[in-house]
Amino acid sequence: MKAAIRVDKLSVSFTGKPVIRSLSLEIASGGPTFLVGRSGSGKTTLLRALNRLNECLPGCATGGQVELRLGEQWVDAYAATTSIENLRRRVGMLFQSPNVLPLSILRNIEMPLKVALSLPADEAEARAEQALREVHLWEEVKDRLSQAASTLSGGQQQRLCLARTLALRPEILLLDEPTASLDFKAAQRIEDLLVELKSRYTLLVVSHSLGQARRIAESLFVLHDGERIEALSRDVFQDRDALFSVMDELI
Amino acid sequence: MAERRLENIAVVFAWLSALLVPALLAVVTGFLLLRGWPSLKVALWFGDTPPLAALLYGAPVFDGIWPACQGTLYLIALVALMAIPLGVASGIFLAEYASGRSKRLFSFCVELLAGIPSILMGLFGFALILFLRRTLAPEANTCLLLSAFCLMLLVLPYLISSTRLAIESLPDALRLTGASLGLSHWQVIRRILLAASAPGIFSGVILAIGRAAEDTAVILMTGVVANAGTPGSLSAKYEALPFHIYYLAAEYQSPAELAQAFASALVLLCLTGLLLLAARRLQARLEIK
Repeated sequence: MKAAIRVDKLSVSFTGKPVIRSLSLEIASGGPTFLVGRSGSGKTTLLRALNRLNECLPGCATGGQVELRLGEQWVDAYAATTSIENLRRRVGMLFQSPNVLPLSILRNIEMPLKVALSLPADEAEARAEQALREVHLWEEVKDRLSQAASTLSGGQQQRLCLARTLALRPEILLLDEPTASLDFKAAQRIEDLLVELKSRYTLLVVSHSLGQARRIAESLFVLHDGERIEALSRDVFQDRDALFSVMDELI
Repeated sequence: MAERRLENIAVVFAWLSALLVPALLAVVTGFLLLRGWPSLKVALWFGDTPPLAALLYGAPVFDGIWPACQGTLYLIALVALMAIPLGVASGIFLAEYASGRSKRLFSFCVELLAGIPSILMGLFGFALILFLRRTLAPEANTCLLLSAFCLMLLVLPYLISSTRLAIESLPDALRLTGASLGLSHWQVIRRILLAASAPGIFSGVILAIGRAAEDTAVILMTGVVANAGTPGSLSAKYEALPFHIYYLAAEYQSPAELAQAFASALVLLCLTGLLLLAARRLQARLEIK
C-alpha cells in the first residue's frame, strides 16, 4: 500500500510545554487507520499537526517534518511555500463534537464553498446536494434546508459536518473521535459511512473505542505520552483478547 | 438547616429582584402614560402647522415636537453611522488581533473612555469648536455633526466592549472549524465569528442607540437649541427630544406645558422602543441566514 502521510521527528508544544516529542510514523493511503492511546497522550495534537490546525491555538510551536501525498505529489505541510488554507481544504477534518456553524443547513455547506473556493452559487448548491447524499442526509433535510443547522439531532449534525468537509473534496480525512458524542445508532451510521468512504479517501481516525477499531480499522497505531508510537499487526487488533492484552501492556 | 434557610432566602431575594425590574418599568411607563396621554394630540407634534404640509413639503413647525423628533432621529442615525463600524472593528481588533502589551494598553484606553462623564464629553466638543475657530476653521460652530461626534465618543466603549466580549466568549471549536474548512483568519471572523456573536454585538448596538437617544449633557454644549426647526445640514443647529423635555420641564409656564413635557417623554420612550425593536428584528433575521 502506498504511503499517504509521512511524519518525521515531529514535535509540538504549547507555551513551552511539549505535547508531542520527536515522533515519526508513516500512514498508508486508504484505511481507515486508527490512532488510539490514553487521554492526553497527544492523539488530537498529532492529528491537528497534519493540517496545521494547532497553529490556531495560542502558544503553539511545531518542529520536524510532515509530508502529505496530495494528488500525485508529496507536499511538505510546513514549507514556507505551502498555502495553509489550501492544505486544510485538501486535508479535511471532522471533530469530536458536531461543530455546526450558526447558519442554515444549506449555508453550512455552501458558505465554505463560496468563500474558500469562490464557487458560483449553482455549483455550490449542486455540490452541497451531492455531499448531503453522500452522507445519506439529503432525504432527511431536503425540505428544510433553510432551517438553522442547530435544529438537527446530534447524529444528523455530525453527518452535516462530514458532508461540509466532503463538499470541499479533500484527499485526506482526519477524524477526531467522530462518534464520541453520539448515541449507538448515530455512531453506527458514522461507522458505516467511514467504511463507504475508505475507498475514496485516506482516513485517519482518533478513537477511544477499541471495539470500533476492531470492526473497521485497516491498521492501528497506539500512541504513548506523545513520544512513542507502536503499530499493531492486523491479527493482533482483530482478536479481541489479544488486543486487550496488548493494550494493557502498552498503555 | 441554616444552609437550607439561606438558600430559600436567596431564591426569594432573586425572585423579588427579578420582579422589581418589570415592576419599575410598569410604574415609570404608567406614570408617563397617565401624565402624558392627554397631551398626545396632533398639535403636540405639529403645533398650528398642517401635518401634511410639514411631512410632505417641509413646512416649518413652531410649537410642535416634530423638528425635535427629526433632530433626534438624525442624531441617532449619524452616531450609529460613525460609532458602529468603528466600535465593532475595534472590538474585533481587541478580540482577534491584539495580544500582550498592546491588548492591555488598548483595553485600558477603552475603560478610560467608558469612565468619562457625558458632560465632560460635551465640554470636549465645545473646546474643540473653540480651538477650530481659532485655528483651522474660523466659521466653525456647535452643530449636529459635532454633537454626533461627541456622542460617538460616549457610546464607543459600549460597542467595543460588547463586540470584544461576544467574540472572545465563543468556543475555540468555531475558530478551528472555520480554519479546518480552509477559511483564512479574516474569513473566519467575517463569516463565522461575527455571525455567531451577532446577539452580543447587537446588545451593544442597542445600548449605544439608547444612550445616544437619551443623552442631554453632551448635546447641551455642542449644538442643540430650543427652536431651530428641521436641521438643514450637518453644520446646522438642531432640536432634540431629550433637550426639549429638559427645557419644558425646567422652564414651563403652565401645567399644559409640563404635560407636553410628559407627552414628549412618552414619544421619546416609544421612539427608542421602536428602534430597539427594529434592531432585534434585524438581529433575528441575520441569525438564521
